[in-house]
Amino acid sequence: MKPDKPEIKKLYALSNDGQKFTFTLPLKNIIKVNKREYKIELREDEKYGVHVLWKNRRYPVEIVRTKQNRYEILFNDISHIFTVETPISMQRKKVLGSAHGRNQNLVVRAPMPGKIVDVLVRENAEVMRGEALVILEAMKMQNEIQAEANGTVTSIAVKPGQNVMKDDILAEITVK
Amino acid sequence: MKKIKRILIANRGEIAVRIMRTAQLMGIKCTAIRTAAEPNAMYLSLADNVHDEVDESSEITVFLDIEKLISIALETKCDALHPGYGFLAENAYFAERCRDNGIIFIGPSPDSIYKMGNKTVAKQIALKHKIPMAMGSPGSIADEDEALKHAERIGYPVIIKAASGGGGRGMRIVRQASEMEKMFTLASREAEKSFNDPSVFVEKYIENPKHIEFQILGDMHGNIIHLGERECSIQRKHQKLLEEAPSPALDEELRERMGSMAVRLAKAVGYYSAGTVEFLLDSDRNFYFMEMNTRIQVEHPVTEMITGIDLIEQQIRIAGGEELSLRQDDIRLEGWAIECRINAEDVQAGFAPAPGRIEKISFPVGPGIRVDTGVSAGSSIVASYDSMIAKLIVTGSDRRHAITNTKLALDAIWIKGTKTTLPFFRMLMRNHLFQSGTFTTAFIEKDLDKYYNTGEYEETIAAWLATKLFVEENLTEKKANISFDQGKELTPWLLRKRLTQF
Repeated sequence: MKPDKPEIKKLYALSNDGQKFTFTLPLKNIIKVNKREYKIELREDEKYGVHVLWKNRRYPVEIVRTKQNRYEILFNDISHIFTVETPISMQRKKVLGSAHGRNQNLVVRAPMPGKIVDVLVRENAEVMRGEALVILEAMKMQNEIQAEANGTVTSIAVKPGQNVMKDDILAEITVK
Repeated sequence: MKKIKRILIANRGEIAVRIMRTAQLMGIKCTAIRTAAEPNAMYLSLADNVHDEVDESSEITVFLDIEKLISIALETKCDALHPGYGFLAENAYFAERCRDNGIIFIGPSPDSIYKMGNKTVAKQIALKHKIPMAMGSPGSIADEDEALKHAERIGYPVIIKAASGGGGRGMRIVRQASEMEKMFTLASREAEKSFNDPSVFVEKYIENPKHIEFQILGDMHGNIIHLGERECSIQRKHQKLLEEAPSPALDEELRERMGSMAVRLAKAVGYYSAGTVEFLLDSDRNFYFMEMNTRIQVEHPVTEMITGIDLIEQQIRIAGGEELSLRQDDIRLEGWAIECRINAEDVQAGFAPAPGRIEKISFPVGPGIRVDTGVSAGSSIVASYDSMIAKLIVTGSDRRHAITNTKLALDAIWIKGTKTTLPFFRMLMRNHLFQSGTFTTAFIEKDLDKYYNTGEYEETIAAWLATKLFVEENLTEKKANISFDQGKELTPWLLRKRLTQF
């Protein structure tokens, strides 16, 4: 630790579904579960690439993407998204969070790269939760992209025949 | 009878590898085709010679280009051609062009492909030969008004299907009259786009059935037998994910009845080569003919594992004019086999394709484990073809043991570089409904609330890893020199951003 910075004693990893994991610094190669401590090792070799050793078993691990303090980690073929916060940034986040209020706009994004085959709604259309908005074709499969909530379609960002990348915006819905 | 000397493999990936393995064991040489999309693919390394077809200006892949394939076969002096599955495998005109050019098409006759490939014709033949079927329109229908009339007669729900379709495209379920107009348009439009043929038909939709298919083998001398069934009910949007043989839903009596219907249908079109007759089986043990696939199936290994018969070998022998050496009584089903389709798909994003480069890949080896794959470390799963990485086929003395062995094998598979369907299968093997064997084709959509399980502590470990990364990026002075066990540097694990190619 640099002496001129205030020392950080704890870090919080917040998962997408709202779970909070607390780790004490300096970070040890030990994870405590149900009051028992287990050793965790991050390793790399030619045969397996980067992996984790945990309770005598090897698990594949990969970083899918990082964006500032947001990390997507692929562990045992399942991805987990965490935001890591210091005690100070955590405090700031709480204050900001309460000031903003709830977001009323729902952005519909492409869950996969593909081609827009059909757009099934128009702007200003009222849609119900589960109603198909667009048909996206990817790798031989046609996928219905549905509205996740009841609301009004405020904008449509794609046209039939258009290619989209994963996470491209398809439409926006103002939630009722 | 003609002894085949050289086969042109008109396909790629695992099925190209699979065909070459058997052909070479039979002393037959194989020619494979190199394409611009996958110039270093694994199947090329197994071929006796490779024909280069890396012209990137071509609009369609060579595997769909009939005239080009014929000229390659002639040029490379192949006396036979194996179409594999997909691409042109069920194209009657292609089979005919092969025959016209003196090339043996390893598959059924153009006439059988045509009759079974056209759903309307297939239905008429099945009807004529009293094969049980779901009620439907007698042929293609012109518009939604006609569709409505048929639906009223049959009763809702009905399903609209493309007359020349397959693989779930151009299919729409209609539950009430008010949905007909929209669904008819969608199905017809999709059929036109996918199969160049907008014609559709309507039939009774059987709610929550099992998908059971029978493997057929026939020769050019009129002998036709079946090799038992495959259970293919684990599917998502009509795409199969897991298949097993035999099916937990069949007993000897039902197998006998369904098998004899499958054979009767194959006889009706003078079928030869390997083929598959698909049925839907409802909860009252009524079965309905759905369609016949006139090719080798992706899931053929499960049948091979329980019968001990090499289906590719049989296809090649039959194509050369040999008589079947097997009689129906010779067929014994022994043990149980399960096949998991390990695809480059993101289970957490609703099975979205996840193309990428395979960095590390290894499979468990042992008795009862078979892996059919067309990739190795360094291979890429490209968006232009299907997303299959490998088929894991595991056997056991009975279903329970097969599930246990599959569970162990799945845990031992190591794939790095892309997301895969492994988490789905790991969950499935532990699911009670799957274990009971009573699942239907609605299993994935209706009975599962999650496509994967997160193991005990896995989230905690992932949180620790994220925190570790944060520490390394933000709180450590010398980032490059962090050492791990044996003085290894951390750099490879840092920031390996996935490139989503398209």
